[in-house]
Amino acid sequence: MFKLTYLPIVLAVSSSLSYAQNIKIALTGPFSGGSAPMGVSTRDGAKLAIQEINAAGGVSFGGKKHLIDIVERDDEAKNERGALVAQEIASMDDVVAVVGTANTGVVLAGDKFYQQAKKPRIISVAAGSAAMGQWVKEGNVVPKGELYAFRFSANDGVQSETILEEAIKKLGLKKVAILADDTNYGVSGRDDLLSRIKGMPGVEVVAVEKFSIGSKDMTAQLLKAKTSGAQGLFVVGIGPELAAIATGMNKLAFKVPMLGSWTLSMGNFLDNAGPAANGALMPQTFIQEPFTPRAKTFIASYQAAYKVDRIPSPVSAAQGYDAVKILAAAIEQAGSTNGKAIKDALENLQKPVEGAIAKWNKPYSTWDPAHPETHEAFRKERVVVGLAKDGRVTFAHDEDRKRLEQLDR
Amino acid sequence: MDWMVVAQMSVSGGAMGMAYALIAYGFQLTYAPSRSLNFGQAEGVMVSAFVALTLIGTGMPYALAMILTLGFGALLGMLIERLGVRLALQQKNEGWILLTIILGLFANSVAENVWGRDDRPLPTPIPSDPITLGSISVTWYEVSIVVGALLLMFGIELFRRKTLLGKAVDAVAADASVAELMGIHSQRAVSLAYALSGSTAAFAGILIAPITTVGPTMAGGLILKSFSVAVVAGLESGFGVVLAGVVLGALESLSSVYLGSGWREAPGIVLLICVLAMRPNGLFGKATIRKV
Repeated sequence: MFKLTYLPIVLAVSSSLSYAQNIKIALTGPFSGGSAPMGVSTRDGAKLAIQEINAAGGVSFGGKKHLIDIVERDDEAKNERGALVAQEIASMDDVVAVVGTANTGVVLAGDKFYQQAKKPRIISVAAGSAAMGQWVKEGNVVPKGELYAFRFSANDGVQSETILEEAIKKLGLKKVAILADDTNYGVSGRDDLLSRIKGMPGVEVVAVEKFSIGSKDMTAQLLKAKTSGAQGLFVVGIGPELAAIATGMNKLAFKVPMLGSWTLSMGNFLDNAGPAANGALMPQTFIQEPFTPRAKTFIASYQAAYKVDRIPSPVSAAQGYDAVKILAAAIEQAGSTNGKAIKDALENLQKPVEGAIAKWNKPYSTWDPAHPETHEAFRKERVVVGLAKDGRVTFAHDEDRKRLEQLDR
Repeated sequence: MDWMVVAQMSVSGGAMGMAYALIAYGFQLTYAPSRSLNFGQAEGVMVSAFVALTLIGTGMPYALAMILTLGFGALLGMLIERLGVRLALQQKNEGWILLTIILGLFANSVAENVWGRDDRPLPTPIPSDPITLGSISVTWYEVSIVVGALLLMFGIELFRRKTLLGKAVDAVAADASVAELMGIHSQRAVSLAYALSGSTAAFAGILIAPITTVGPTMAGGLILKSFSVAVVAGLESGFGVVLAGVVLGALESLSSVYLGSGWREAPGIVLLICVLAMRPNGLFGKATIRKV
């Protein structure tokens, strides 16, 4: 009774305040567990962008400014949990778009719900080829111009190209071993490497081993790689298990270069492996170093906002930040919160977007299943080689740093 | 078959097997006087490792943190005895099986909420550099597991055999009603056994943490392996668990090399089935004769 009497007043007050309706964006990702550095960083990077947009009054269209509200969901890096999260968000009519997700398996389990609900979604971390490859798979091909999923991270194809170039051309390796985890990400990354190495004359894969999430003893796999005479080790996995590989190599005195997925820059790899992490090489789209003025600004505001020195996963943080900036620009251009209008705007952004990584000029174009890169933002020129050193990741080559500086001019 | 690979894998696996043996020894400690055991032992390992991590995080010296963690393990053991075992034993039913499992699950939830789900390294004074013996590499972490486990078992055995308190536990193990008639408070002896068992779990946590890192899943799978070791050796086999643990650990490593890493768990299960089928009391267990 008491509540009912107040209802008209509450309604009157709230309707008078909401002269411009807020926009709701969902942020998803693994905020706990072994993948957490990626999920937390990308969420916090995205939130930083949202705070900046809101501080400037919000996204403006229709003659009004709209503040951005956030819905957060932890998918725990579990496929089944990811499917539930996606179903829930897809059914929320007021959620305009989705940004985040770090695990390829989670993308595979959940993105179909966003596609059905026609909700634009930007994958800001997950790199597995399968994550976008699902839309060109036979029997599931999304026709021209009808895909709502976009990726804002360097996919495995681009990444393995970069890291293979490093291994084969720069380091001159002839015999390599591959260790990959048994998740969708690991399997897809391993297959990517295998198919690319097949086309390289004189390079031989001498051992292919797998491991599961949570395994801490890699002695067996490493010993096989070592006895097969591998001169270098390719790894695909996430932080904690990669750390177990690095410490295992140290233990077996298996002193060959360790190269692999970009996840070798995750804070929990660097911390858990300690000195054993030194020397690991991985493809990166962003490095926590002030290599450009925009990178410097972003790093400083992230550090100030979250009171950290080292960003748990700098790549994820910068990608989350830029993905939100691009999405906001698309909403402004679309002039509405309609899913199709936003998707169309993303595919044809008129104004360049200032991000932490770059000034983005038309990162996407109209979806074409024959050219899946239409919905991929990163090309090879944007990917550099990072080097793990004393708990940090730095540029492995000075020319990479110069290239990024050059691209930003 | 390359002998170097066999030797390396046996040594690495055997070292981890000592951790199984230590936890299996903890099962024996409580099984003897009370015919019950704590199926939440692996969670005890994990929670204790988190306690050690927190204590070291306060800037406390490693040795002091270790002693306090052992004390915490003992308290945890007594708590489990009080909450999960005592009543079931008094009523002579098997309620402790489910209760200790549930307490373990509860500990898991507590750990996830208090410390989070991330794996974190445990700072340790033990050097991370490996030692090479011929072509075999051993880490100081592995050495510390073997030496530490043996020392703790030896210490507890001394306590059981040489002190009055320890003898009281043994007396209860031999015959609880006679021990009661002799003036031994059998329930306190059981409580003490659980405290000792809790300490072994805590010590196992400290020993394996540098290898597994500290996280809620660090001891996952440990319970089944340790229980297998305890059953294969026999729940009353004393030091038989050491041999069973080392053999199981080595077998696991060898099968992950020669059968593939997916087959890692297989030999333990096969061994368990074989032993249970042929010697239900375990390889080193004594056949119990029930006098009617």
